[in-house]
Amino acid sequence: MIDWAWILDHLDELAWRTLQHLYLTAASVAIGFAIAFGLAVWSIRWRAALRPILGGTGLLYTIPSLALFPLLVPVTGLTDATAIIPLVLYSLLIFVRNFVAGFDAVPAEILEAADGTGYSSRGRFWSVEVPLAIPLIVAGVRLATVSTIALVNISGLLGDRFGGLGFFIFEGIRHSFPTEIFLGGLASIALAVAMDAALQAAQRRLTPWVAQPTAVGSPGSAVRRPVPS
Amino acid sequence: MSTAERVVFEHVTKRYPGTGSGNPGAVEDLSLEVPAGKICVLVGPSGCGKTTSLKMVNRLIEPTSGRILIGDTDIARRDVIELRRSIGYVIQQVGLFPHQTVGENVATVPRLLGWDPARQRDRAAELLELVGLDPARYASRYPNALSGGERQRVGVARALAADPPVLLMDEPFGAVDPIVRERLQNELLRLQEHLAKTILFVTHDIDEAIKMGDLVAVMQTGGHLAQFGSPDEILARPASDFVARFVGADRGLKRLALVRIGDVEPAPVATVRIGADAAEARRSAAGDGFPYLLLVDERDRPVEWLRADALPATGSVQAADGMPAAPIFDRRTTFKDALSMLLATDVQAGIVVDDAGAVRGLITTDVIEQRTRTPAP
Repeated sequence: MIDWAWILDHLDELAWRTLQHLYLTAASVAIGFAIAFGLAVWSIRWRAALRPILGGTGLLYTIPSLALFPLLVPVTGLTDATAIIPLVLYSLLIFVRNFVAGFDAVPAEILEAADGTGYSSRGRFWSVEVPLAIPLIVAGVRLATVSTIALVNISGLLGDRFGGLGFFIFEGIRHSFPTEIFLGGLASIALAVAMDAALQAAQRRLTPWVAQPTAVGSPGSAVRRPVPS
Repeated sequence: MSTAERVVFEHVTKRYPGTGSGNPGAVEDLSLEVPAGKICVLVGPSGCGKTTSLKMVNRLIEPTSGRILIGDTDIARRDVIELRRSIGYVIQQVGLFPHQTVGENVATVPRLLGWDPARQRDRAAELLELVGLDPARYASRYPNALSGGERQRVGVARALAADPPVLLMDEPFGAVDPIVRERLQNELLRLQEHLAKTILFVTHDIDEAIKMGDLVAVMQTGGHLAQFGSPDEILARPASDFVARFVGADRGLKRLALVRIGDVEPAPVATVRIGADAAEARRSAAGDGFPYLLLVDERDRPVEWLRADALPATGSVQAADGMPAAPIFDRRTTFKDALSMLLATDVQAGIVVDDAGAVRGLITTDVIEQRTRTPAP
């Protein structure tokens, strides 16, 4: 059923479609991250903004991707922007929710201690609030990355210039060639799983203070005592 | 070592909008002066404004009217960030930064002040040492690996890091168990003997206030200062029914906690050394009128009570299963603890020993009871 010879003949194409997939994902996630970070900071400073921001990004999330990609073509033409803009819009809801939850999770006594010891408000934000929000920020990045990797495939309906690994899926459907559909689908899944694992590893490195679950005993226990027999 | 500075409240009022006076946390016309180097405890029921008063000193809360001086300077004139870096701040939940190591937490203010990293590390190690935590073991740990008592010690070390003249402590030992609390209280008092900082200390626990305070400010719901004075004054002469109720019906007993055995001269006691001449011992006991002799060892440490008439007529005095030599007090024992030990052992007198354990004399229940009746100095 799988035409292995065809796959071996197209490894070059697989490699550059993977790179394209990564590029569209990284660009969208980076832009979405920056916009959502601004929105999240704005809404924790000014709480009244939170509901409209969540409502607006939630509404964007409901637009069918199959419709949004073609709708942009008259505006932005067949440029990278046409693929990236919808991907950014879909990532916003995930990002904003996680960022706000991350900042809200910083305990009030930590903020009081920071103020009381004489942090400026900017110093408190970057040195205390952001580091402590990292676990939920990274959780948002992981979710948004995995969801964007899946959505990049859909951009293939804009034509062969787009789609990343989704190109194989669309072409496989056109030619009724299952090998190509499987290749595109499985490679896309593998990419998502690999990125998620990489981000999880990055989070462990970024947050050494978060006790990692260990096989035996309490995590990070202060003193290792010999177990009395 | 910086010198401590006095803290003065001048007609300080804090009102919260929308509610009348008597709303929780409000402070009404508070005036008091904490002399440099003293511990002043703000105590009162919840909502009495004690924490509000404390937080106005580092301007986490701004007063509605009135002013607060540190030294001779109105704190409203100082840059708020610089002010806070010059005041140590300890809170009940400690508020250690979980993403920083213990060493980094302690060095927070030195870091904010821009000290070079080596000096920050040295200072952190010095302070961990001071609060009884081995820097080699603790400095590189994260706070989540510490017990509650250890965290609170780190919190105190952090507050002291830049050697501030004033320390604010908001129920600092409220979240630890009673045994650890007692130990932390004693350690803070021991530290304060050397540091001599001006400390404002908030608690709702009158016993803690009496123990920790050189001065106690009793506050009342509505943010009124009900009484301000030494612990002994407040216990001996409560200024109002409110204060009397707040300090409790056992205030006479509580006063006993303020007096230590070392503060009074013990009554003499007839002692006899192991191996001394029995006939001689009988003679000296007869002259004393008290039917017991305290048997002591070669270094005058108490062994047991002997009945004078049970002494052998001749030969030497030896231990003879007499009454146990208990209770034993040293100079740090409070009258309150002494009384409860006397009641527990059902005797009239306790033995006072010096730091080497040698007998100095006796304290009787009469002396202790006497104390509950004397007016405050």
